Amino acid sequence: MVRQVRILLWLLVLLALGALAFLALRTTEPSPGPNPSAGAMTLGGPFTLVGADGQPFSSTRLNGRPYAIFFGFTHCPDVCPTTLARMVRLRNQLGQGSGAFDIVFVSVDPERDGPREVGAYTQLFGSPVIGLTGSSAQIAQVKKQFGIFSEKVADGASGYTVDHTATVLLFGKDGKFDSTIAHEEQDGAALDKLRRITA
Amino acid sequence: MIKYAFPLALLLAGCGDGPALPDLKPTDGWARETVPGQTSAAAYLTVINNGTGADRLIAVSSDSAANAMVHSTTTSNHGVSRMRHLGDGLAIPAKTAVELSPGRTHIMLTGLKQPLRRGQKLTLDLRFEQSGTRRAMVKVLDPASAGLQEAR
Repeated sequence: MVRQVRILLWLLVLLALGALAFLALRTTEPSPGPNPSAGAMTLGGPFTLVGADGQPFSSTRLNGRPYAIFFGFTHCPDVCPTTLARMVRLRNQLGQGSGAFDIVFVSVDPERDGPREVGAYTQLFGSPVIGLTGSSAQIAQVKKQFGIFSEKVADGASGYTVDHTATVLLFGKDGKFDSTIAHEEQDGAALDKLRRITA
Repeated sequence: MIKYAFPLALLLAGCGDGPALPDLKPTDGWARETVPGQTSAAAYLTVINNGTGADRLIAVSSDSAANAMVHSTTTSNHGVSRMRHLGDGLAIPAKTAVELSPGRTHIMLTGLKQPLRRGQKLTLDLRFEQSGTRRAMVKVLDPASAGLQEAR
């Protein structure tokens, strides 16, 4: 009898160790928003940030308009300009003018990106892009609402870089989350989605 | 046929003059225009190796920036984009053109001395393990149109 209890206890110990190992080995990278199982309906929602003019920017300004929102930072020399230039080009390809949908750029690096920095940066693409920043707390809140991951990483001479979700999120006229455009996605598929939200 | 392969390989190897050497030519360099306040930029280019030996890009410098280094960008399954310094440099295999392109690999320029203006040209000095230093010309282009073909 005592032996059986002992075996049972050892089994419990093994089970506990297994559970610990499972927790430890689980991926530490959170899965960012564009994850349908997280409940697409919960993505987005009202927010207040700071516009390029230094004034509060309320998300009510986007009401009734489809928009594409992208999170990045102005010291990001590769993925961010590539993505913004692509969104501008896709909007041109839609052939409905620059009012077809808004392109919104939100900084995940508010320490370095003030209103002036995001304002100047968003001018680079030859077509209107709404540049937004805010306090660290505001940015943290909006990142949560849109399911965006970002993390500062030391990077030699430049001080730091920021790992961040580089997926574009699309919202319809009704303000509801529609779909995403991934970094590696083909233009055809991306244009289909943009036609849908601008229909 | 197989039994002739070895002597044939020896014969072919004998055709070359001396050891396999890289023969590098950097080409098609470009970067995007930047705005005041932006202190970093990415430069892209292709390194053509016409030689029979491999090489490795180990360091970069530029008169236009305090620092330059080879960076790679990766995107995870969750859509998280990460930019990292390639500490071991970039391999340039023999008889290959290695393209540094948006979303993949770039020369990261930090501490820009002044904003990059479209139409301007800058120079990069690329240091290779075998071939020493090669100078590359980089054209500054309109960010709205530059590199979009490469990106897809």
